[in-house]
Amino acid sequence: MIGFRSSRRRPEQDTDLDLVPIMNMFLVMIPFLLLSASFFHLSAINTSVPVLSSSEGAGAAENTVQVTVIVQLEEKGIHVSAMSDEVDDKTLRNLETYIAQEGQAQYPLEKLSMFLQDIKNSYPRSDTVIIIPEDSILYDTIIKTMDVARYSNDEQLFPNVVISGKVG
Amino acid sequence: MALGRRKRRSREFIPPKLQMTSMMDMFTILLIFLLVSFSKDVVTMKIDGKIQLPKSNAQADYQDNVRLVVSENNLWLGSDVVAEVRNGKVIGLDPENLQGSVLYQRLKECKKKVDRSKDEETDKNLVLFLCDKRLSFKTINSIIKTAGMAGFPNFQFGVLKQ
Repeated sequence: MIGFRSSRRRPEQDTDLDLVPIMNMFLVMIPFLLLSASFFHLSAINTSVPVLSSSEGAGAAENTVQVTVIVQLEEKGIHVSAMSDEVDDKTLRNLETYIAQEGQAQYPLEKLSMFLQDIKNSYPRSDTVIIIPEDSILYDTIIKTMDVARYSNDEQLFPNVVISGKVG
Repeated sequence: MALGRRKRRSREFIPPKLQMTSMMDMFTILLIFLLVSFSKDVVTMKIDGKIQLPKSNAQADYQDNVRLVVSENNLWLGSDVVAEVRNGKVIGLDPENLQGSVLYQRLKECKKKVDRSKDEETDKNLVLFLCDKRLSFKTINSIIKTAGMAGFPNFQFGVLKQ
């Protein structure tokens, strides 16, 4: 009986969804989100300038030998050297190199990255790099060099970056 | 006359329904975009001219304690212009006498204020440094040196995330 009755029902009409409350919610949310939206994601690279400090005292054990890498950014290339109280001069001289810029190509940062990786592998406790740019070097190049010196393929190299002008 | 009569006899006026679907689509897209770009710490910076920050893979958060902004035309300390930059040279910043510059004096005042604050979580020797990527180290060097001499030897170079 029931089935018979339902078959005689009038065809259902399309009901419109009431979108007005959703629209109201959107109109409240959008101004709020517009105010708190950040269109440029800013991050930071920590660095410092050289300051006078007292010496660090007793020498370290051999497995904790640290070297400080010096990267001099020049117009035609990059001069890399190292300094340390714990390593003799001959070894330090082996860590010295000059990476020349080939023609008008990009600054040789890939070669620098590989060289810094080698130093890090030899002295894994080292964590400081001093970047000494020439006056003509652009800020963008300095930042790129910092990136290369700090990380290579997600591997941490020299997280402490010191920036300094050329002395003399 | 005949027309007027016909009109009066026409069916009752039914107000047309607003078509909301397309507006909803637009709002939904806008809402998703804004939710993605939502940030709890928004910094509004009043910067003259177009400053182009360098891009970097750095992930560290910045500390907006004392902010130095260097564009191609001006040097800002916080929201105040402290010097003009012309052809890559900071006017009034003599490399031989950095301590006599307005920037040095203003940074010293800032340092006193920062030191007086009781917020122990922030590094009181830190400056957030935002600089146009097209400027050379010659321009930046004297500013960095002045900040170092005024008691801010630590810097955070502000960059755009890659």
